[in-house]
Amino acid sequence: MPTITIDGDDYEVEEGQNLLSTCLSLGIDLPYFCWHPAMGSVGACRQCAVIEYKDAEDHRGRLVMSCMTPIKDGGLYSVTAEQAREFRGSIIEDLMTNHPHDCPVCEEGGECHLQDMTEMTGHTNRRYRGTKRTHRNQYLGPFINHEMNRCIACYRCTRFYRDYAGGTDLQALGRNNQVYFGRQQEGVLENGFSGNLVEVCPTGVFTDKTFSKHYVRKWDLQTAPSICEHCAVGCNTAPGAREGWDGKDQMLRRVINLYHREINGYFLCDRGRFGYDYVNCDARLKAVLAARTDTLIESTAARGERIHGEIPPREAVERLAQTLAQAQKGQRRLIGIGSPRASLENNFALRQLVGPDNFYAGLAERDLHLLHLVDAIQRDPRIHSPTTPEIESADAILILGEDISNTAPRVGLAVRQAARNRQRRQARELKIPQWQDASVRQLDGDPSPIAVAGFEDSGLDDIASSRFHGTPEEIAAFGHALAQLIAGKQPAEVSPEYLEMAQQISETLSASERPLVISGCGCRSGEILQAAAQLATALADRNSNPCALYLTCLEVNSLGLAQLCTDGKKALDHLPGALRTEGEAKNPSSVIVLENELCRRVDTATADEIFSLADELIVLDLLHNLTTRRADLVFPAAATVESQGTVINSNGLAQCFYAVYEGPGFIQESWRWLADAAAFCPESNALISTIADWKHCHDLNQAIAEAFPELEVVAELGPDEDFRIDGLEVARQSHRYSGRTAIYADKSVAEHKPVKDPDAPLVFSMEGIQDPDKSPLQANIWSPGWNSNQALHKFLQGIGGKRRCGNGGRKIQRASRSLPDWKPAVQPAGEAEGFLLLPIYRMFGSGELSAMAPAIASVIAQPFVLINRHDAKRLDIDAGDPLEITVGGDRCQLIAEISDSIPFGSLGVPYGFPQVEPLGTEAPARGQLHLLQLETGGDQ
Amino acid sequence: MSSVFEPEVVEVMDFSKADRSTETQLSAEEKREIDAEFSHYEDKASVGLEALRIVQKHRGWISDQSLQAVSDYLDIPSAQLEGVATFFQLIFRQPVGKEVILFCKSASCWIMGCARLQARIEQKLQIAPGQTSGDGIFTLLETPCLGDCDKAPVMMVGEEMHRNLTEQSIDEIIDNKKRRHADESTD
Repeated sequence: MPTITIDGDDYEVEEGQNLLSTCLSLGIDLPYFCWHPAMGSVGACRQCAVIEYKDAEDHRGRLVMSCMTPIKDGGLYSVTAEQAREFRGSIIEDLMTNHPHDCPVCEEGGECHLQDMTEMTGHTNRRYRGTKRTHRNQYLGPFINHEMNRCIACYRCTRFYRDYAGGTDLQALGRNNQVYFGRQQEGVLENGFSGNLVEVCPTGVFTDKTFSKHYVRKWDLQTAPSICEHCAVGCNTAPGAREGWDGKDQMLRRVINLYHREINGYFLCDRGRFGYDYVNCDARLKAVLAARTDTLIESTAARGERIHGEIPPREAVERLAQTLAQAQKGQRRLIGIGSPRASLENNFALRQLVGPDNFYAGLAERDLHLLHLVDAIQRDPRIHSPTTPEIESADAILILGEDISNTAPRVGLAVRQAARNRQRRQARELKIPQWQDASVRQLDGDPSPIAVAGFEDSGLDDIASSRFHGTPEEIAAFGHALAQLIAGKQPAEVSPEYLEMAQQISETLSASERPLVISGCGCRSGEILQAAAQLATALADRNSNPCALYLTCLEVNSLGLAQLCTDGKKALDHLPGALRTEGEAKNPSSVIVLENELCRRVDTATADEIFSLADELIVLDLLHNLTTRRADLVFPAAATVESQGTVINSNGLAQCFYAVYEGPGFIQESWRWLADAAAFCPESNALISTIADWKHCHDLNQAIAEAFPELEVVAELGPDEDFRIDGLEVARQSHRYSGRTAIYADKSVAEHKPVKDPDAPLVFSMEGIQDPDKSPLQANIWSPGWNSNQALHKFLQGIGGKRRCGNGGRKIQRASRSLPDWKPAVQPAGEAEGFLLLPIYRMFGSGELSAMAPAIASVIAQPFVLINRHDAKRLDIDAGDPLEITVGGDRCQLIAEISDSIPFGSLGVPYGFPQVEPLGTEAPARGQLHLLQLETGGDQ
Repeated sequence: MSSVFEPEVVEVMDFSKADRSTETQLSAEEKREIDAEFSHYEDKASVGLEALRIVQKHRGWISDQSLQAVSDYLDIPSAQLEGVATFFQLIFRQPVGKEVILFCKSASCWIMGCARLQARIEQKLQIAPGQTSGDGIFTLLETPCLGDCDKAPVMMVGEEMHRNLTEQSIDEIIDNKKRRHADESTD
């Protein structure tokens, strides 16, 4: 390791780094703007100047930009030398000449890197008295505010947006003092990672528009570590909450990134960042509702929708307790329906309450089967589930059938970085350090090979070296052919036109050192998953080394639910049958639905059957939906940010999220409602009293670990509620959290005791551990002098390393089991009727909860149907024509969109979009297409 | 008077055609010239600047529509092309007069009294830098250096270089231009 001297002190440092990142990792404060740990150096801002000395005799030295200076063994540097400090002072003074000094009205204020650096440099006296250049700001959509006057032209925004995330519509415009970062015309930023501009911009040019609507300063936010609930990647987040304007209840104000090296690193997707607002939306359940006996008229009555009225929670709990008692006496059958978007704890509690035989996964059989396939594949010792840094370092990638840009966006961003690996290798050969961003990007090394096979164009097409569009059968056949080619066999079932492409891809994958295969449940095809597994195992056999295979699940706890529900027959499709046989026994049935909208899981006919066969429908959920409207009793359940729990991501990593604030109204965790009912149950037995005894999240974690040895790590994820550091809990509020004595002063001047968190050693107050180095539970990343999120480097093991006190999260220990040798399924030769409907995912619209966040709802496309250009021509359909699709018993109206990539004879239908949910539950399936006649007005 | 540039680099704006500045399609001629230029470059993004110059030669300036037309033709993002267009001073994103005056403000010209001469132009044409005269003939732009310091003060009008300027020569140049444009419009 090289040794360098900075201001007379010797340090042993990591080789190959630049001086700036070295200084920062040593804890030396050195101001900078354009450098970013994930994006390297460009030397644009000149803020990080230091003095470099030739040798010990050299007392004068020369100014160098530390971010552009490779450290060398024996190097002599000074950060504090007068000339260096003076230079840095003049740079910031220059940058500030055009800055409006509008900190009091700027939303960056209090977490502004520019403020921090100005303070650090010591520029406290403004000498410039001239006019400042002013810009017109642009409308950039519902997520991002634009205030260009604050810009210091560090170019970080375009370097992230364009270079890192592949966006094309944000550019540096103009020049000199007039440089402007914006779009060619006003409009919504198109890239799905635009929200990161809020954190990447060192000042207040790009700020969070959703946060603006209920803004408070960073120091006034209450924070705890959380897990993003909008997909199964498991990104770590730091949501912030504060009392609302009107009531005194806490409300969620925003979500920002919480660094986790293995998953999200520094960046989140826009669904994760802006989807949080569903917890504040009008459809939120905050009280217990019971159906009234009044009958409804007309159409709503036909679907059995009920009118609900609020009832006191105690009454509701007693009603549920009565149901439990009857079940215990054998007079009633209890059925539980779990959910992939509810935590392990909630699912487990319901499973225990109703018994494993009566616990249904809350998924269609097809989806449950896919999850079990993913689980089985990941158990094979030849398969390795890669972390984000491993995905980024892959040198050849095949994406089989999964649209990861929309189903697992953060993984898509990692794949985008992997596209540059050949360029990086070329830089290594030329001895250009990897952090020399502009130099490395200028190399014309070919993009690394990335092959994409999917139903339609993907968001990664611009970096794809080969593309294959086909139906699920064709993609699976393509995958199997690749597997056979890699294993050195002759492929049987690939058409000659694709044989060449298959040969080329298989050669590239075989020759690569770190191949990666990506697939997932989004394609809703078991054959594709099997083909991906065959391919990965063939590569593993060939290299005698486990092969990286990333399989995306669709929801935050999909894989966790699959662990609790291993019986493939416990799917919703089989529930009506089970309920009917129950009817013969004359015992009434109660169905308890846990945080699940059944109309998104199965076709309308099956959902209606479940609703009408259940004698009592009890629903615990976050939002009003079609299921709660049919319920007899509705309990308000806590959202991720209001509760503690464990979820298992697509990689089998169990992670814990913590309550950021107490849910308003009567909201509490679903398992607490069940435990309350057990406590009130007049029939007592071992099961009921065990459930009634669950008081803390940790009690459930222990119970899960005991019941499921493979999930033992769940009990070891975090400290229990009694854990203390130096006798203290971890503080959710910062030292500067304001208004504590004033907030309730209109009712009482006495200071309220903070609510006790029964689940975690975290306190809803500012008294406690503030240091993020002392506990991973501290999500407020702050260090003296570093108020912005750039403080993060103070808490990492080196720049871009792991968090020093460790990130939460442990891999579940699944017993390994080798996969069978799957043969490609023989396709039925029968004459197919109608069109093949294929599920199409969108970052905005396909997520159930995020679609209820107002900002996201405003950009969801109207329900579309992708139709092949030739099919459209044949049927005389133009873009924008209204069409109707019938599949099973469902019919949905959509707008035609012409596609060049969707396979001939197929239609792409939106998965999970509001109003057309049944389509997603059935695709891939055969459906009929009808042209709708436009109303011609009332003139005939 | 002589051009400081190679003849093929700066070509005379062609005003004989009707105003096509807001047309959304490139003409066959424009496409042909862009294609010819493209043969010298590795990729389409690199030819963006030349394509803008070609279109500006035909249309006088680059309107939003022209920018979009070039962006569509070369298949490069319009934002990227806008970055190029707004970086280079000689790509005009606003309508300009038939004669663009590039008035040199470098140190040599400053020593030789260009401030007085600039005031003369401004007073004569009743415009400030960046503006176009009421008759639509002249646009006055300041420029840092035209590279002819030994003959300061200097300015360019269109592609013509004028050296050793005096108030008298400025009057002559402007009057001549005015007369020529008046003749053309009465033809």
